[in-house]
Amino acid sequence: MAIDPVFAAAAGVSVVAGIAMVTRRNPVYSAIMMLVCFLALAVVYLKLDAPFLAAMHVLVYTGAILVLFLFVIMLLNLKPEEMGAELPLPARGLIALLCAGMFGLVVLVLMSDPSIHEPLPKMDPRLLADFGGIERTGHSLFNEYGLPFELISVLILVAIFGGVVLAKKKL
Amino acid sequence: MMGHYLVLSAAMFSIGAYGVLARRNLLIILMSIELMLNGVNIALLAFARMHPETGTRGHVFVLMVMGVAAAEVSVGLALLIAVFRNRQTVDTGDLKSLKG
Repeated sequence: MAIDPVFAAAAGVSVVAGIAMVTRRNPVYSAIMMLVCFLALAVVYLKLDAPFLAAMHVLVYTGAILVLFLFVIMLLNLKPEEMGAELPLPARGLIALLCAGMFGLVVLVLMSDPSIHEPLPKMDPRLLADFGGIERTGHSLFNEYGLPFELISVLILVAIFGGVVLAKKKL
Repeated sequence: MMGHYLVLSAAMFSIGAYGVLARRNLLIILMSIELMLNGVNIALLAFARMHPETGTRGHVFVLMVMGVAAAEVSVGLALLIAVFRNRQTVDTGDLKSLKG
């Protein structure tokens, strides 16, 4: 089975950047690696015919969340001794083994399913038209999923209040 | 190939799980949670592409996950700032006042 070269490159970059992210001691390097990882994941989203979500991913994750992380890192201005002690190496190795085992288990299950090896279904041009585009996603978001959409806005409002209440010194 | 996308999704989730379990820096734990959410997003988009007859259902779900992630990270970072202000540490090993 042939791997699409664009997907292979994006997946490789995101996995390597992800591993670098969780292993760096300095959070600034972790944040930069997170940026690389998320940009590579945006390419994966594009390969899955989701251009609108790829744009939203770049906007929300790299535009908002990553900048918030960098802002907090600068605000805290951690000295090396304040970054805390890490777990001893054997414990970390054991956890890495557990996580690799979890990954292996998922891959094992995936590979035992023959339908997974089929190439992406050829799309009916009628379905492909604007699949994952802004118009169709927006249409189903506001018609079919109006209530969940409104509830998300309530959730974000609560998060704004929570953020202010928690981070403010004196109310 | 659909399987490759799902393998990438599992890899992202596993890397994030390692970060949450093995690291003790609160900032990196929060970043790892983002990584896990992204792994789930890839799987949702892959399944949406696998079954085009379901329309954009998967895409809407991913948008919801992004909204929850944004809310979660803002509250999480505010908590982190509050903890750092009171305890001068971001190490989860030092935060044991709830330990019996």
